[in-house]
Amino acid sequence: MTAPASLLLAMRSIVQFPRNPILLGFSLVPVLMMFLVFGALFEGVTRLPGFPTGNYFEYLAPTAILLTTVPGIGNGAVALAGDFQSRYVYKLLTAPISIGAIVLGRLLGDSVRLCAQAIAVLGLAIALGAHVETGIPGAALMILLGTLLGVVTFGVITANLALRTHDAAAVQAILPMAYLLIFLTSAYQQPEQIDSPVMRTIVDANPVEYVLRPMRDLMLSGYDWPGLVLGLGVILALGLIGIPLTVRNYRSVYR
Amino acid sequence: MQDRPEHVLDELVLLTPGAGEHPVDRGGDAIVLEDLAKTYASGVEAVRGVTLRVAAGECYGLLGPNGAGKSTTVGILGTLVRPTSGHASVAGFDVIAQPREVRRRIGFAMQEVGVDPLATARELLVLQGRLHGLRRAESARRAETLLAVVDLADVADDRLGELSGGMQRRVDLAASLMNLPAVLFLDEPTEGLDPRARAALWGALERLRRRLGVTVLLTTHHMDEADRLCDRLGIIDHGRLVAEGTPALLKASAASDSLEDVYLHYTEKAA
Repeated sequence: MTAPASLLLAMRSIVQFPRNPILLGFSLVPVLMMFLVFGALFEGVTRLPGFPTGNYFEYLAPTAILLTTVPGIGNGAVALAGDFQSRYVYKLLTAPISIGAIVLGRLLGDSVRLCAQAIAVLGLAIALGAHVETGIPGAALMILLGTLLGVVTFGVITANLALRTHDAAAVQAILPMAYLLIFLTSAYQQPEQIDSPVMRTIVDANPVEYVLRPMRDLMLSGYDWPGLVLGLGVILALGLIGIPLTVRNYRSVYR
Repeated sequence: MQDRPEHVLDELVLLTPGAGEHPVDRGGDAIVLEDLAKTYASGVEAVRGVTLRVAAGECYGLLGPNGAGKSTTVGILGTLVRPTSGHASVAGFDVIAQPREVRRRIGFAMQEVGVDPLATARELLVLQGRLHGLRRAESARRAETLLAVVDLADVADDRLGELSGGMQRRVDLAASLMNLPAVLFLDEPTEGLDPRARAALWGALERLRRRLGVTVLLTTHHMDEADRLCDRLGIIDHGRLVAEGTPALLKASAASDSLEDVYLHYTEKAA
């Protein structure tokens, strides 16, 4: 029996990633730096009444996972644009495989990579004294949520940009926008500590917030099942919009 | 890449059931185009009613100026470009209705090399074989053979981004042969290659045709290449097929012994 095309292509993207040391380095180092810098800057907020933990890294760990997965998925789109620039994509398009298999292969490969990177970041948080209240199953669920969110939000945006422009530089140029998706949440402060009503409205409207909250609960307090269902629902809804759009845009490469 | 790979190709043919068979349409042709047309969204009419047939095992060359419609025609046959009207079939399958069946039976090397610079030559070929449904061991064996055919066994494990343009083109050719295609499309296969690399690629193509009976449709700007490799030629200009025949016949029709004169004669006439 032969392996499905999507698995073969997922394996290709996993093998490919470490071969670009700049991409590998720049996808991890900023997150680790930000984690350490913000951890030091906001350490004092743990002394505020009602703050759920005495270790700020514990509060920050789900954010750090999102900082890894959401911008990190953009590197998959950079590689996709690279396939257009090297024209390798046309080799794939003239093979007897479906567009869906090509898209799924890329998503699977990038998801495995992001999970590995998120595990490294969570490992750092644990090394800095953080503790995952829900243990390994909760940590795994947290990483899965973060990875899926990355895929259906910034993954979809950057993949479609890559499909439209075929330009790795254009995709790279919008990677910093990913941080906005995370900054406009309760990533660094608890929702009740955000004073500005405008900011509160933006945070409440940001779909990322609905995934971040149950992730934080998994880290700090336990399973918030309604929150998890809502978070997964948000991911599913975004995926149902974004992934068919991506497949459709991929089809447009047939002129 | 001269005589050494002959025995490797023989072995490949012997070990591969179906290699060298010629899937054709009912009329016995491997490639059929009937009144084929393509107008892009921009309004550019790239192909205007081209009709031609290529027999199984034949090498057919498409000549024409830049923008004449050669690459669009090959793109349609390779299932990458959708025709606006007309009909095209490859190895007996309609390119629109049965694209996957067409893709199973074709090799496609484009004008610009299409390789993954981060992969090694071996990895690229093995993956290509596996995407065509080969098992890992079979794909690895075929990759080994084809790398020998294009004389790149020594650099099989080097990253493609580190290889020269000529070497990348040979890897691209080898990758397009991993499924032992019945029909091979080559869009300006020797563009940008030095004379030695061109001669090496011609040698490989001739061996492949001899041993595997592959039908080849190639586009080229090199008249010497067309003269040496092709059984028949079609000259395309402004999206129309303006002349067709064997190199000898075309030369006779233009009262010249040079294909270059033939090319100028027919393309000037069309202009």
